[in-house]
Amino acid sequence: MKIAISADGPNLGANVTHRLSAAKYLLIIDVESGEFEAVPASNNTNQRGAGVQTIVTAVSRGANAVLTGYCGPGIVNQLKDSGIEILTGITGTAKDALEQYRALAANTGLRGDQHRAASNMNSKDLIIQAIKSSVRQFVNLLPVLLGVVLLIGLFDAFVSRGLLLSIFSGNAAFDSLWGACIGSVFAGNPINSYIIGGELLEYGISLFAVTAFIVSWVTVGLVQLPAEIAAFGKKFALLRNGMCFVIAIPVAILTVLIVNFIERYLS
Amino acid sequence: MYFFPLSILAIYAVLFFILPDRILFALTRSGKVLLSMAIPLVLIFTLMLLINLFVKPAKVAKYMGKDSGIKGTLLSAAAGIISTGPIYAWYPLLKDLKEKGAGNYSISVFLYNRAVKPFLLPVMVDYFGWLYVITLIILTFLASIFIGYSLSISITVDGT
Repeated sequence: MKIAISADGPNLGANVTHRLSAAKYLLIIDVESGEFEAVPASNNTNQRGAGVQTIVTAVSRGANAVLTGYCGPGIVNQLKDSGIEILTGITGTAKDALEQYRALAANTGLRGDQHRAASNMNSKDLIIQAIKSSVRQFVNLLPVLLGVVLLIGLFDAFVSRGLLLSIFSGNAAFDSLWGACIGSVFAGNPINSYIIGGELLEYGISLFAVTAFIVSWVTVGLVQLPAEIAAFGKKFALLRNGMCFVIAIPVAILTVLIVNFIERYLS
Repeated sequence: MYFFPLSILAIYAVLFFILPDRILFALTRSGKVLLSMAIPLVLIFTLMLLINLFVKPAKVAKYMGKDSGIKGTLLSAAAGIISTGPIYAWYPLLKDLKEKGAGNYSISVFLYNRAVKPFLLPVMVDYFGWLYVITLIILTFLASIFIGYSLSISITVDGT
């Protein structure tokens, strides 16, 4: 049986972290043999997503239990859903934690009171947790969205329709190419691309350009390219982004042609 | 997160002293855009809540890369669609999955399908209509398969 301990270092002498999301390493330990593997937890400790990454690491390495200082109820629930028990309130070194777990397993048949307390979330707790997560996601979305809306106002007041139409001539291929170029440079939440795209349509810009813009906004990421290269290698990142840029053009043209065809057929 | 909106507000403040009429026009226009988004934004929040209640991205993500058949493709696409937060937060996780055997195909399908965000559909439908949104989602899924295969073939043939 394997357990995962959130630790601040890659060995058994490292301290158990006070929070799961603060782990620098996840020590995957075989309880019986004591053999262990140190898996770097995340580059973004203490940030959003760190908890989820830890869960996937624990699941993918076959851990049956996670030992840590503290863990939010949402993560507890996800671990429980994945069939992993969680013991919180653990302090000291990873070696101490392993001994504590062995003692607990011997006395209680592998299940501790802490685990029961943590994993017995009722539906009210689940709803509160979901509301909190949704409010946080929604609030995070708003600042940039408001910035985009204000930018559209400025755009309306200062950029002439003639200037835009001189760039976007209505030619399907060229408009899609221009749209893909602009969408590739920008990045961020897709909602902003929908708003900008919708407003561009009102200016008379073709749906070809707007669609290529929306598609490449998410699929091509020049801003995130260094991070993607670091994660998956130069060849993968460059090829993927290049292919996504090229494919955005036929996807845009096909989308518009299909929509136009169906609308004509239906009318 | 706040740099961009604050920069725009600063531009508004400076231009207000130079061209107050135009800035008032810009503010009115922005207000109208915001107002038109009120209902879609309420729907977005509702969908976010439902997804947070019933969908567990990590649970789906752990099955990614098991195979590149129909099931593997659907799981990778589903994980991409329901993934939330900035993409760079997912890189370490995907890197780990790749080291555990998930292929370039699965990673690529995941990344491409992030373009589809169920909770943002109300805004997209509001601007472009149902027919357009459904067509684009289907083509996005097909394009993700095409890019996934092309990418895995290119990298395998090259041997790197």
